[in-house]
Amino acid sequence: MTRNLWHFKDLGTGVGLRAPHFGHILGEKPEVGFFEILTENYLDTGGRPLYMLDQVAERYPIVMHGVSMSVGSTDPLDFAYLAKVKALAERIKAQWVSDHICWTGVAGRNTHDLLPLPYTDEALRHTSARVRAIQDFLERPVALENPSTYLEFVPSSMTEWEFIARLAEEADCGLLFDVNNVYVSAFNHGFDPRTYIDAIPGKRVCHYHLAGHTHKGTHILDTHSDFVVDPVWELYGYTLRRLGSRATLLEWDADIPPFEVVHAEALKAQAWRDKVVRRAA
Amino acid sequence: MRRDPNLRVEAFPLSTVQRWLQAVVVHPGDIMEALTSSEAEMEVPSSGLASLVKASHSLTPEERVDIYHGMYLLRMEEALASDYPATKHFLGAQAFCDLARDYVRRYPSRSYTLNRLGDHLPQFFLDEPGRRHAPFLHDLASAELAVSQAFDAEESPKLTAESLQAIPPQAWDSATLQPTAAFRLLRSRYAVLPHLEADKRGLPSPAPLRKASFLVVYRRDYSVYRMGLTRGEFALLDDLAGGVPLGQAVARAAARLKKTEGEKRVFAWFRTWVAEGMFSSVNP
Repeated sequence: MTRNLWHFKDLGTGVGLRAPHFGHILGEKPEVGFFEILTENYLDTGGRPLYMLDQVAERYPIVMHGVSMSVGSTDPLDFAYLAKVKALAERIKAQWVSDHICWTGVAGRNTHDLLPLPYTDEALRHTSARVRAIQDFLERPVALENPSTYLEFVPSSMTEWEFIARLAEEADCGLLFDVNNVYVSAFNHGFDPRTYIDAIPGKRVCHYHLAGHTHKGTHILDTHSDFVVDPVWELYGYTLRRLGSRATLLEWDADIPPFEVVHAEALKAQAWRDKVVRRAA
Repeated sequence: MRRDPNLRVEAFPLSTVQRWLQAVVVHPGDIMEALTSSEAEMEVPSSGLASLVKASHSLTPEERVDIYHGMYLLRMEEALASDYPATKHFLGAQAFCDLARDYVRRYPSRSYTLNRLGDHLPQFFLDEPGRRHAPFLHDLASAELAVSQAFDAEESPKLTAESLQAIPPQAWDSATLQPTAAFRLLRSRYAVLPHLEADKRGLPSPAPLRKASFLVVYRRDYSVYRMGLTRGEFALLDDLAGGVPLGQAVARAAARLKKTEGEKRVFAWFRTWVAEGMFSSVNP
């Protein structure tokens, strides 16, 4: 199996660090491979969230996952924001920093949504240049997540998987591969998720995301509000075989259940990884 | 909408696509109003939608764009509600949603964090004095904003009784106190504590009561507290937070009370505030 290009440590199985679980995590000290934080929640606070994060970071590896890097936006890069990201990464000794392949706003506004890009040569050139500039500034590689999308642009001249594979090479960045997002977008746009996975350069994948979603009948929303469905677990197994076994994180951001429930769901990923490794041996 | 055969796809550079989609997503009306708004039409004519967005197996281009459009307001409303729960409790879900729609139209997020989205809500009620209950809502929102600011403020060292006792008696009169970064003092025209309590306890919100009210918000051990104050307590805390020397501030406070009990009560207040961790240091 390929290793990731930067030899990032395999951190095992992780869960998102969420405020309702602070007490349980610090009190019970569960065996968790790593925690992933939502970067923006810790940039401008000197209060309880940062205090809790510092304590969690003393005991567990932390990875940072942001939503405002806006790598595809035609607005100028926000270096004040990036400086805060860099400082936080140093403070908590983040294992790696990630964000999304999307844009979040223009003209100085932030919609706080992960808006889709048209997959054109222009968008590819533009986004690659920005990602390179971001990595230079942060002085570390950035892992970018494939988005879940709800619309496709007619002017796109390549598929999403071609765009992502080319972006990763041209920007020389990492990928955070979200298996649920592939499933969601495959349903919404009517493509075969295996074709998508086959096109992703495994050596650039730093870790995987898994999450639950909400099926609306006509489309699927990436809500992170439920258990991972069986077809996504199957797709995860396929991904492990095609792209390599990597650290995996379970996201649960809405209707958050007790920590034990989230953790038990995350541990299913470890069972899948063990199974794939056994088969390969 | 039908595809416009005269529209060329090269006519949509990335910047145009982004300005268009943002204009549609943030528009406060329904999806058809958003697509035909002047801001959106300026970038992509609504007749050209099918030349820009594909239909899916189950949704039209309009319906696909509407997914993003619908989620925008929900997200903004949710972010505002997390900082202004008592305001939402008072207004009710639908009126609060309407408020969120009007608010983000005037004060859209320009930050990388949603935590600062609601910073202008008290000002918004001043901008719109004709809005029902606007003066009361301004006071309630100001109190809730103080709570969220106190939550995120930098941690400060706490002034201890021991460090106060270490001040030589001759230095007391001229000493000044430094409040912690989380300290917020509020004077309002309406009573707001009953509304904060009603929300916390899940009780119905009382009718707004016009009554001069005083409140201090502070943080201890990373938890935020609020305390109602009398006019006299507020005046003394206001003096101390404003850098008035201790001797002068205490004398002014005692003078506002009955002479015999004045100093005793002032020192009792003072002990409570220090014990609650409202001050970070004393400057002799």
